[in-house]
Amino acid sequence: MNAKDVNPATGPRILVIEDEPTIIEFLRTGLGYEGYQVAIAPDGRTGFDLAGHQSFDLIILDLMLPDMDGFDVCRKLRERGNETPIIMLTARQEVADRVTGLNLGADDYITKPFSFDELVARIRALLRRQGKHPEQTILSVGDLVLNAETHEVSRAGEPITLTPTEFALLELFMRHPRRVFTRETLLNRVWGYDYAGDANVVDVHISHLREKIRDKPPRLIQTIYGVGYALHPEDDA
Amino acid sequence: MKRWRNISLRVRLTLLYVGLLALLLAVLGGVLYWDFQNFLLESTATRLRAQAKPIIDEAAAAPLEHAQTLARNLTSRDTVALIIGPDGETVAVGKTLPEEPAPPPPDPAYDVRALAGENEVTYVAQMNGQRYLVLLIPWRSAPGSPDILGVIQLSTPLAPIENILLRQKLVLGLGMMLTLLAGLTGGLWLTSSALKPLNQMTETCERIAEGDLSQRVNLPEREDEIGRLAQAFDHMVARLEAAFAAQRRFVANAAHELRTPLTAIRGSLEVLMRGAQDDPAATSRLTQGMYREVVRLSRLSEQLLDLSRIGAGATIHKQQIDLQAFFDDLLYQAQLLARDRTVTLDAGDPVTILADPDALMEMLFNLMDNAVQHTAENGVITLGWRTTPESVQLWVADDGEGIPADDLPRIFEPFYRGDSSRSRRQGGSGLGLALVQALVEAHGGRITVESQPGQGARFTITLPLTMRDVDPLEKIG
Repeated sequence: MNAKDVNPATGPRILVIEDEPTIIEFLRTGLGYEGYQVAIAPDGRTGFDLAGHQSFDLIILDLMLPDMDGFDVCRKLRERGNETPIIMLTARQEVADRVTGLNLGADDYITKPFSFDELVARIRALLRRQGKHPEQTILSVGDLVLNAETHEVSRAGEPITLTPTEFALLELFMRHPRRVFTRETLLNRVWGYDYAGDANVVDVHISHLREKIRDKPPRLIQTIYGVGYALHPEDDA
Repeated sequence: MKRWRNISLRVRLTLLYVGLLALLLAVLGGVLYWDFQNFLLESTATRLRAQAKPIIDEAAAAPLEHAQTLARNLTSRDTVALIIGPDGETVAVGKTLPEEPAPPPPDPAYDVRALAGENEVTYVAQMNGQRYLVLLIPWRSAPGSPDILGVIQLSTPLAPIENILLRQKLVLGLGMMLTLLAGLTGGLWLTSSALKPLNQMTETCERIAEGDLSQRVNLPEREDEIGRLAQAFDHMVARLEAAFAAQRRFVANAAHELRTPLTAIRGSLEVLMRGAQDDPAATSRLTQGMYREVVRLSRLSEQLLDLSRIGAGATIHKQQIDLQAFFDDLLYQAQLLARDRTVTLDAGDPVTILADPDALMEMLFNLMDNAVQHTAENGVITLGWRTTPESVQLWVADDGEGIPADDLPRIFEPFYRGDSSRSRRQGGSGLGLALVQALVEAHGGRITVESQPGQGARFTITLPLTMRDVDPLEKIG
């Protein structure tokens, strides 16, 4: 399981211009899991060159860089006519800094230390606004259809009523077909990072979900013994 | 007394001032008035006696029967004569015309004194609400003779004198009132003008207490006590403001330094929990990263703690250090730190100094570390010392990139990092040089730096050698 397995060459391309190795590492891994293709530039000059030579859907730009700072990179990119959306990472909370960044052509900023979930949400919002790589709102696997906007689920045209937890579980599976989720990961992503309950609660909800979507063997949501669960479209088998 | 202290200084000073002035005027006026009154009475008495003398002398030889004539001769518009016999009985009265004043009755207590031969008996008598000046003159058979025939009583009403005195009283009173009034206004004006800067300072203090440290008294130039107080006050507030600003900057910088490792750890944890934990390779990469960041955070917090401890003046335990042995030890460790760079020792005269060995090691090691960060792989770093009669200088010099002139004054500030420091090094806290400076200053020494961009840098620590004389532990030992 590796970032490249998910949406191999089709995911949006993100350029991360950042010099802190640990931050680079989690952005590369985390964004990869979210289906993005991530390129890294460890300093401003490299980032600026990379953005010139390749086309990206979005740039994450740290303000504090060793050679030229984020403001410079942003201004130069805009001067050169590069309109790639930019999210600035800033450790400063001063309003003046944010205003400067936005005036120079940044599209959004996020203050360190930030939540990764929030960063992902902002990336999605920005990409949606750009109209590129629109997020699928209607997901389907065989005759099972899920509408992420209206929260409606149906199988073979028959509507199914799900609890919010069951809906979140199903959406996660349908967005990442074939990916194996451990119980811990499902707990973290559906119940939240600070959920302190037993992992068995996942099994209980999965079994309810299977019942409601009339998931009979060969099942869509398969139990991977000793690991967790994964959704396999029927045509896989 | 308490109420007195609650009254404003201005009113108190004015009251005191006016009180003293009133006392002074009252005493002066009283003495003046009394003196003037005496002068008037005495001069009247002298005049009367002088006028009477030739008449009495002329009548001296005359017998008592002539008393009536004598009394009549001595009587005028303002003076009436009365002749008293040796037994105190009235022998003759000079008053015959109605416009002449009535004589007060003889007073035996005074008459006896005049009959006994006293020449200058003068007193004031009261009659019908009028005051009279009364003079008694012994009537001698011849001038200077001890033979006394009787007593001549001359009296004159005091009304004219009293009129003068009344006018005098009015003038004096009015003068005093005017003086007091002038004194009161002048006093109020004087104290207010003297105390106005104090009020100004109080207002400034109140604004400062509300949290605005940029306030100053800003008195116009004046060299008196209040001017000096205001200047000292402004100076103090300026120092406080600078100290608070430095403190705020320090805290802001410290928080800023915490953000990067915190961002890295938080992000890594979230990514792990969102699913990366299911991949052993990703888990290991993220965990290692988090470990690095935690180490960095601990180092940062340790250095912060060190800085504040040294600032509070603790943790310096001085002992005798042989510099030769110390540098031999340091050189070995420095070579490990410097890797491919050349480290040379420029030894000075053998000397023993009094310092905290751990602190000394930390100072030089931090400077070494700093030199290594800013020197090329094949660079040269020189350590050394020199002694002068009063001090010992220890230095760490390198032939690296040097320090830009703009950065030089600020490199000892906590968290300050030149651009080159930021790019070369990951995980540096920016506290190293600040820590060295704090340690050097805790030893009563100072640290200086010389550098030209491109030509390396030289950090020199100067420690006083006379420390041994002031160290209390040394004396006990």
